[in-house]
Amino acid sequence: MKTSFLLPKTLLVLLCAALAGLSAEGPQVFAIRNTRVVRVSGPPIEDGTVVVRDGLIEAVGANVKVPPDAWVIEGKGLTVYPGMIDALSTWGIPGAAPPAAAGGGRRGGGGGPAAPTTPQSVIRGPEDRPSNTSYLKAADQIVAADPSIETGRNAGFTTAATFPNSNIFAGQGVIFDLAGERSGSMIVSPSAGTYIAMRSAGGFGGSFPGSLMGIMAYVHQIYLDADHYKLAKQIYSQHPQGLQRPAYDRTLEGVLESPRVLLPAARAVEVDRMIRFARELNRSAVLYGGDEAWRAVDLLKQSGTPILVSLKWPERSRDADPAAQDSLHTLEMRDKAPGTPGALAKGGVKFAFYTDGLATQQDINRSVKRALDAGLTQADAVRALTLSPAEIYGVSDRLGSIDKGKIANLVVTEGELFQDKTKVKYVFVDGLKFEPAAPAAPARRNTEATQ
Amino acid sequence: MNRPTVLSFCGLVLLGTALTCSAADTNTFLLRGATIHTMAGKDIVNGSILVRDGKIAGVGQDLSAPSGVRVIEGKGMQVYPGIIDAGTSIGLSEISGVAVTNDVQEVGKFNPELRASIAVNPESEHIPVTRANGITSVLALPDGPLISGQASLIHLDGWTTDQMEVKRSTVMHLRMPAIGGAGGRGEGRFGARGSFDEQKKTFDKDVADLNNFFEEARRYKQAKAAHSPGFKPDLKLEAMQPVIDGEEPVLITAVRERAIRDAITFGDKQKLKIILCQATEAYKVMDEIKSHNIPVVLGPTLALPLEEDDPYDRPATTPGELYKAGIKFAIASFSNEFSRDLPYQAAAAVAFGLPKEEAMKAITVNAAQILGVANTVGTIEEGKSADFMLVDGDPLLEQTQIKQLFIKGNDVNLDNKHNRLYEKYMNRPK
Repeated sequence: MKTSFLLPKTLLVLLCAALAGLSAEGPQVFAIRNTRVVRVSGPPIEDGTVVVRDGLIEAVGANVKVPPDAWVIEGKGLTVYPGMIDALSTWGIPGAAPPAAAGGGRRGGGGGPAAPTTPQSVIRGPEDRPSNTSYLKAADQIVAADPSIETGRNAGFTTAATFPNSNIFAGQGVIFDLAGERSGSMIVSPSAGTYIAMRSAGGFGGSFPGSLMGIMAYVHQIYLDADHYKLAKQIYSQHPQGLQRPAYDRTLEGVLESPRVLLPAARAVEVDRMIRFARELNRSAVLYGGDEAWRAVDLLKQSGTPILVSLKWPERSRDADPAAQDSLHTLEMRDKAPGTPGALAKGGVKFAFYTDGLATQQDINRSVKRALDAGLTQADAVRALTLSPAEIYGVSDRLGSIDKGKIANLVVTEGELFQDKTKVKYVFVDGLKFEPAAPAAPARRNTEATQ
Repeated sequence: MNRPTVLSFCGLVLLGTALTCSAADTNTFLLRGATIHTMAGKDIVNGSILVRDGKIAGVGQDLSAPSGVRVIEGKGMQVYPGIIDAGTSIGLSEISGVAVTNDVQEVGKFNPELRASIAVNPESEHIPVTRANGITSVLALPDGPLISGQASLIHLDGWTTDQMEVKRSTVMHLRMPAIGGAGGRGEGRFGARGSFDEQKKTFDKDVADLNNFFEEARRYKQAKAAHSPGFKPDLKLEAMQPVIDGEEPVLITAVRERAIRDAITFGDKQKLKIILCQATEAYKVMDEIKSHNIPVVLGPTLALPLEEDDPYDRPATTPGELYKAGIKFAIASFSNEFSRDLPYQAAAAVAFGLPKEEAMKAITVNAAQILGVANTVGTIEEGKSADFMLVDGDPLLEQTQIKQLFIKGNDVNLDNKHNRLYEKYMNRPK
């Protein structure tokens, strides 16, 4: 019994090693010892060791032996965190715009491919599947050499949940690690969810849907159609004879493939609306946006809906009219948005951060710092960038904390995360070690004196 | 406000008979026994108005009808001057959503040669509806990005535009360039778009173009006076002559504080006689407006405030504040279908601090003075056009009924589309 069980496993390990090993350079075993380990899944270990082998965490603890074949990193004065996860990203897709406005219309719309709509006729209703590319998979679009991957990694991120973000049904997201020679080896989960934006199909001539109520009705109909489509296919596969075949529909295939739906909710009224909507859709939902979620903590808690909070806090547009005065409501939104994460943590709502176009460590630190100043604890901030997003996307068995057997995604810092002076020393992605290049020094300007 | 009864219908038939008998008599009559609110001094109790050939020939207590002159009994009634709406597009636009019925705007930024009255449609359905509430003349205002044309004060009665004209070139309409427009209302349609930098560029260019245009008009004047060889007549620059001479006022639309200040500066620089139009934020610039002695045409009081954080009654309190500051102002509808509500727009200001007498002035004598037509309309005085209404109460109150309305001495028909629809649906089979 024992051998028959072991044999396939050994084979698989060997097979994977052969596949992965092709590209791997340098040692595959590391041990970071005498270091502070913030596991996230449990209390921090003040003086411990983390052993990484073949892309996985082999051991973690206070009394772990360093394997003889390991490259040893002296961890005194360093802290090891799980690699950070960008919970709603466009990293890895070249030329993608940051995620679209979460319903509030605050940020610009996304670029990327528009749904190939049929040119011959005006779209009249949901049956024409307007603005729907639910079958598009970010997993198929990841480019390993995209520079945004390295930028994110240098800031301490090891994983991103990247979604296509054009159209109402933008497509399916991917959870992938921020290193690898080929996109295929980077992917952790190829189907992270369907990204939905509440935006009109656009264009002149009154294409459906052109209003919020139209968009909601449309999304609802698509999900009803998808359930019906699934049933029809099941019945047909059992009785292919004597039954008319259900028409193949790629937009419904895409929806059915997807384990969850991402819905936009920046303002409190949108949080309320989308929680109800998710219930109607009968799907597991994740909200994104969150500017005003501090006002809707109870709603979120009661419904158990997790929310992704943008780290790009609302601020006055840089090219705003200097004489224009912002309304009290606008000022309140700007003032209170960074209080959202603290309020969510206190209220026991599951939430994760997403970078929303921010990429450098400095920008991200500054953003998280504002949330910390507004009442978020350091531990909760770390969790919102590690274990919480992993849980929200159902990959916490492999990502998000420093535990034996999980993927070796680590960030090793000198100083605590999010502090101004903190340096990212090493980043481990799938067990590969990276040392972030020092940020390029600002180009020196020639002053008159030096000319 | 006034629906025809069988009685008044008989009256119309009788009047019609009179019309055919002796046309000359229709705008010659004596109205007697009513309280006359002349808006030019004290009210005259038990007073009379003698109208001859459409003009007021006398007002007082001791007038008697010359022999053969028709007498209208006004016992127990009030007489007020006809209301003036100092900003509408009546006659120039019928249904804003139907392009072919709109004649308000010409293409281009400099159109001073356009005259509104020439395009007025005397058959507009808005005319009878509007005058049914006592409005006897309106300013037909062309609109556009910068200089949109000459606005004409027209009587709301007449077969042709010639008959309707009170003053063909009443004012020149200029819309002050404004960064950011007027917040969605008012200037929104003409407001600049894009980032602040782009808007600023457009704004600077517009202001420079405006100044150049006025300079050009001055050079044209010199060339013309010098009979310089090769002088070429130009309608645009010709139309600017009374403006640069300070004879014809420039009605400058400037909604927000910054635009109002810009307009005042511009008027100073070009030495113009200016009127501020639709100056919603005039209350922020009262000192300058007062010191420059600039009159203001305010928009409706029953309107939403400009800013989200403004008090709910912001538009309604402005008239009272301007009055206390000693600034001359009129209230106008800047509308077509709602011009008829002008008396109630003025009335709302009374509830928020404007003396009642001043509210009535804001839609009669003040409007006439501001538009430079006080010698013709706005009050009940000898020599002026016989524009007045015979009413059973205060025209600012909705329950007041207008019994008769006179424009140029003609007893105008008060029937209108609203009445016809009222009658139609009252008689619908139940």
